[in-house]
Amino acid sequence: MAPLRLFYPYDRTVGSTVGRFLTSLANKKIEGTRGLDGIVHVPPAEFDPATGAPLTEWVVVGNAGEVLTWSWQPEPFADNTLQQPFAWALIRLDGADTPMLHAVRVGSEKDMASGMRVRAVWADEPTPSITTIMCFEPEHGHG
Amino acid sequence: MALNRCAVVGVGQTNHTSCRADVSIAGLVREAVDRALLDANMTLADIDAIVIGKAPDMLEGIMMPELWLTDSLAASGKPLFRVHTAGSVGGSTAIVAAQHVMSGLHKRVLTIAFEKQSDGNAMWALSVPLPFSMPVHAGAGGYFSPIIRSYIRRSGSPSHIGAMVAVKDRSNALKNPYAHLHEDHWTLEKAMESPMLWDPIRFVETCPSSDGAIALVLASEDVADKMPGKKAWVHSTAMRSEPTMFAGRNQVSPRAGEMCAEDVFRKAGITNPLKEIDVVEMYVPFSWFEPMWLENIGFAPKDQGWRFVEDGVTEMTGKLPVNASGGVLSSNPIGASGMLRFGEAALQVMGKAGEHQIEGARTALGHAYGGGSQFFAMWVVGSEKN
Repeated sequence: MAPLRLFYPYDRTVGSTVGRFLTSLANKKIEGTRGLDGIVHVPPAEFDPATGAPLTEWVVVGNAGEVLTWSWQPEPFADNTLQQPFAWALIRLDGADTPMLHAVRVGSEKDMASGMRVRAVWADEPTPSITTIMCFEPEHGHG
Repeated sequence: MALNRCAVVGVGQTNHTSCRADVSIAGLVREAVDRALLDANMTLADIDAIVIGKAPDMLEGIMMPELWLTDSLAASGKPLFRVHTAGSVGGSTAIVAAQHVMSGLHKRVLTIAFEKQSDGNAMWALSVPLPFSMPVHAGAGGYFSPIIRSYIRRSGSPSHIGAMVAVKDRSNALKNPYAHLHEDHWTLEKAMESPMLWDPIRFVETCPSSDGAIALVLASEDVADKMPGKKAWVHSTAMRSEPTMFAGRNQVSPRAGEMCAEDVFRKAGITNPLKEIDVVEMYVPFSWFEPMWLENIGFAPKDQGWRFVEDGVTEMTGKLPVNASGGVLSSNPIGASGMLRFGEAALQVMGKAGEHQIEGARTALGHAYGGGSQFFAMWVVGSEKN
């Protein structure tokens, strides 16, 4: 019997809000939106979580921030930006109120801690994609 | 069991098209919601509960999108209910929303159905082999074409009936600004020359792949009575389902569909549907399903549905206009298609269908089916209270 392998790609339409966020990433700029209550959402919220109002005020935030919590990925998947064991972390960037999920490159699980400072490492080829931030690294070297 | 009355007080839909590259799913949904709220003269803050439906999540590859949509619907802290019944989901979702009102639990309920087919590929998403089931590797058309051939054989229908339905629905769509396809060149001769995709389903007899959304605002009687605009009162609702595969199943006219129609008419006090229903919005993704459902619902005697089509009964000028909006054959944002039928039925009895309005429509049937014809959802709406 011949093998049958069906697959197809998804072709995501991100819309104007996430679209601007991704376009800015290609220019090494991280932007979020400000909610009606003043909270800065990074990644940006398209609609205000409290009221549903469309959010249009943009705020540029820092490329570094604080790890709020994290989880160790001992065996990376083929499509992860890092092909060595790494941490998934919720990172609150400087100037943002909400955390963003991304990868953190450290030598081992022992080098990770909630509250540590990390900074974005940009990919060599900028693209309008979240993987343009290849990963984050501890701000003052490993450990 | 006494139920509270429920009325459709707002209808909003997007302009359906093959690819809305300018909006996210949340933005697409919000567009329909804003139009429905405007129609009802309400804001999101007025809404007590939200009921949302769409076809299988695999179609866009976003699992449980209702959670993502919470922000765009200002649904935090409010009941948010998701309905899953394949292609019939838009109808089932509207019914669950109506039950939120009829039960007395909520006074203003927003219900939404959507699909953004351009984010994925529905045909192949519906072609994944399932354990212990017959493989269907060519989308819905591949699944339904043998069933249509069976209908033609049993009923003795001539071969041009499907093309007649297609020409009617595509022509009706010219009167509906929201319809995806606006094609003014179809004649029966040209339709018969349209390429055969899944014998006997020709290209013109097939629904398009659409991005689109629809939202309805449903209100309790006390709220609706205080509103000046036109309303569509929900006279009855019914849902039925049966397994996709079992020995002896009548796939041409599933028992679940017959029972659903019997139930929705009984609850609405309708004894002669052909006489008492003024207009029908029917789920016809492939043209031949119009004569098949005419029989299944009970409008036409067994094996006679095709004669209704041939005699023009279902034309906009006929005794029983079917799909004055252009139907699923002219717009198919799958998850939304059932609610579009329910919403278009409401627009007809509200007298707000615009150019495709059937004059004097007072009672309308909205119909949806899904999966391998195993899910059915119907409602009867009227211009007067039930």
